[in-house]
Amino acid sequence: MSHDTEFHVHHDSDAAVGRRERLGVRLLIVADGAFLFSMIFSYFYLRNLNTNGAWLPKGVKHFSTGSAWQVAIPFVIAAITHRLGQENKQTRNLTSIVTFVVLLVGGYLQWKQMAHMPFLLKDDGGIVSFNGAYASNWVLMAGTGIFHYILGAFIALGILIRNRTTDLPHELDVWRQRTAQSWFTWCAVAAVLTALTLSVI
Amino acid sequence: MSTSTKSKDVARPVPNPKRSLITRLHMGTGVVVGVILAAIVYYLLKKSLLTYTDGAADPLSPHDNNILLLGTMFTWSIGFMIGIGALIGPWRWLVGKDLTDEEILYMAGDGQGVKRYFKYCTDHKVVGIQYLVGVMTLLGVGGTMAMMIRTSLARPGAHFVTPTVYNSLVGLHGITMIIAMIIVATGPFGNYIMPIMIGAYDMAFPRLNALSWWVLFTAIPVLCSAWFLGGIPTGWTAYAPLSIQAGPGMNAFIATIIIFAVSTAVAGMNITTTVVAMRTKGMKWNRVPIFVIGSTISVALAIPAFPTFMVSMIMTGLDRTYNTGFFDANMGGSGWLYANLFWIMGHPEVYVILIPGVAALMEIAPVFVRKPLFSYNAAIMGFAGIAGLSILVWAHHMYIAGWAPSLNGAFMVTTEMISIPTGLLFLVLIGTLWRGKPWMKLPMLSIFAFIWDFLIGGITGIYLSDVPADGYLHGSMFVTAHFHFTLMGAALTGAIGGLAYWYPKMTGRMLNERAGYISFWFVQIGFNVLFFGMFMAGAEGQPRRVLDYAALYKNSNLISTIGAYSVGIGMIILLWAVIHSARHGKVAPMNPWGAKTLEWTVPYPVPLTNFDELPIITSDPYGYGKGK
Repeated sequence: MSHDTEFHVHHDSDAAVGRRERLGVRLLIVADGAFLFSMIFSYFYLRNLNTNGAWLPKGVKHFSTGSAWQVAIPFVIAAITHRLGQENKQTRNLTSIVTFVVLLVGGYLQWKQMAHMPFLLKDDGGIVSFNGAYASNWVLMAGTGIFHYILGAFIALGILIRNRTTDLPHELDVWRQRTAQSWFTWCAVAAVLTALTLSVI
Repeated sequence: MSTSTKSKDVARPVPNPKRSLITRLHMGTGVVVGVILAAIVYYLLKKSLLTYTDGAADPLSPHDNNILLLGTMFTWSIGFMIGIGALIGPWRWLVGKDLTDEEILYMAGDGQGVKRYFKYCTDHKVVGIQYLVGVMTLLGVGGTMAMMIRTSLARPGAHFVTPTVYNSLVGLHGITMIIAMIIVATGPFGNYIMPIMIGAYDMAFPRLNALSWWVLFTAIPVLCSAWFLGGIPTGWTAYAPLSIQAGPGMNAFIATIIIFAVSTAVAGMNITTTVVAMRTKGMKWNRVPIFVIGSTISVALAIPAFPTFMVSMIMTGLDRTYNTGFFDANMGGSGWLYANLFWIMGHPEVYVILIPGVAALMEIAPVFVRKPLFSYNAAIMGFAGIAGLSILVWAHHMYIAGWAPSLNGAFMVTTEMISIPTGLLFLVLIGTLWRGKPWMKLPMLSIFAFIWDFLIGGITGIYLSDVPADGYLHGSMFVTAHFHFTLMGAALTGAIGGLAYWYPKMTGRMLNERAGYISFWFVQIGFNVLFFGMFMAGAEGQPRRVLDYAALYKNSNLISTIGAYSVGIGMIILLWAVIHSARHGKVAPMNPWGAKTLEWTVPYPVPLTNFDELPIITSDPYGYGKGK
């Protein structure tokens, strides 16, 4: 392979680094998408099998359809507010606070649901079990939701702090906000898909 | 080669006199923090679980014990990463105080000598060597287990180990070798060589590169702990509900896979981004070396494949700890769910393993016959075809399980169709060798070994993809022999060829040629003897994973064991050669093979940023016999 040489600066341009980071995050979204797909596959697979009639045994309570949307909506709002912040520099500080707070609220709602699961069984030894395959799938999806909220809140907090303390708009920071937008949008899509899945009980 | 250089000094950052935290952290602090945090979490969890059972002095229930062990294992991993400094970067980003140039340079290991191999070093060459040592360690551990298994099977009733230990050996050998094979080529060469091959000064995400290695590192003691927790009695497939009922050692398997999946996702994302976004000027897609293409397709395939395995392991963990019922039919679950999730990952994973090995050999072939690679496009179509079809074949592992008999025909067809892109890979290699004058060095020998071994692995795979034939052969030693011919025949042979080829660039010295040849013949002859014996035993009907067998199978098993010892001796000789040559080998010239790819244009030791000036590519990498 023949090659010529030219002057090289070891620091790439902010745009090049930004594009690279966005691609990396999108690849991670592919991995997270496969994770979500596996959960949805599991949900409908076990629901359709309904082995021993134990998908949702008779008399076992379940969450309402609305509760699944209750924890999905904060993600959608966060994705929208973050987007608005990118478009309007004047309101960036405000929208980053709103994004962070909304994600905290969403995480709290998800946590609250997990603390009050209606389908738990306890025996004399105090061992908790999940009554039915619906319950098993629900807790896995809720756990994933919590993970998304924690990660989202971390990113939103970082953006909030940087908006207030660093000299924005620094180009790389602007790119990183766009990259964060990819993640927030994905989380909103994942939350909606999860809510849709959990709506089919 | 024309050179038009506009040189200009790159200002070096002034060393920071103030010692930041980064300079004080290393593997030792990682171990200390990991162990302390794990001990604290172990203590607190145990205390809370005992409180939960009304403070009774009774031992914990199996479920509570699983919570305790999994919690401790994950805390060790997280604690180690905190202790080695992996979270400093994200923390500094969070608080708006980015790492300074001095700190970035320090993390790249500038001027730190051997110490950088024990730090959170972001230099891709250091990470490549770390992976190489990790792979050799895993191969050593997994190989020792293989020798113990074969010793036990040398003759009927030998019982070199107890049945329980034998079960653990089979499971641990399987998962150790699978992990080793997944990283055997992309780990060392994908990190050390690949960025230089594409003319990049570093990986796209240097800190994540270090993260992928050190996260994997934390999984090794976790996996080893399985031995002391009763082992992994399920085989590496960890089928449910067996895995739900298994003892505490199963927790180590679950934690290892989850940690490994994180490492794989990060590494896959990093390598793919690097190749897509950091190729030097003029390196169009049709000028990218074939090893880079193969590795990228492999890791890109791993990105969506491994999360499904991760999900199945999380489900297994939840079933074992919190009494969910994913795989328990009484609770509405199904073992088939596990089998589906596992094999949706499991079969693409085979190609994640073998594609980089084949690609490494394709990289080597033109150099040693001094001819261009025969049909570069066919090679890419072969890799892409294999990757694409690999996600449509998973249920051929479940013919006999009776999951979906009406789909058996469809899965048989998709599986057999994989022969077509695989045939393209043979075509490219044989076409390259055709009428060439091979330079019979060690890397070249690996190509011939691959063609023989992988041909057998591939052809026997056709028998197993065929539903009626699989009805007889399923679960037999025939299957074990088949996948060893496939994985060892492609991945390990390719990796050994790659090691012999790139060793001079990675160590600055030539690999001891004599020892290399001796090792090669011991391994190759032993390998074929070992697994031909196993084919015989399987065709005669011996099931796999059994400690004892009928006298009918004694000859084929003895043959296999003799072969295994030959492989073991060969691998020990290779290990000696690798270690000895690194210190005492002949000093290598910059381009000992006369190759045309970019890694051979940089000196050893390779500069921190690989190239003082990034090259511009003006031709394809295999222009042998075409003049300059």
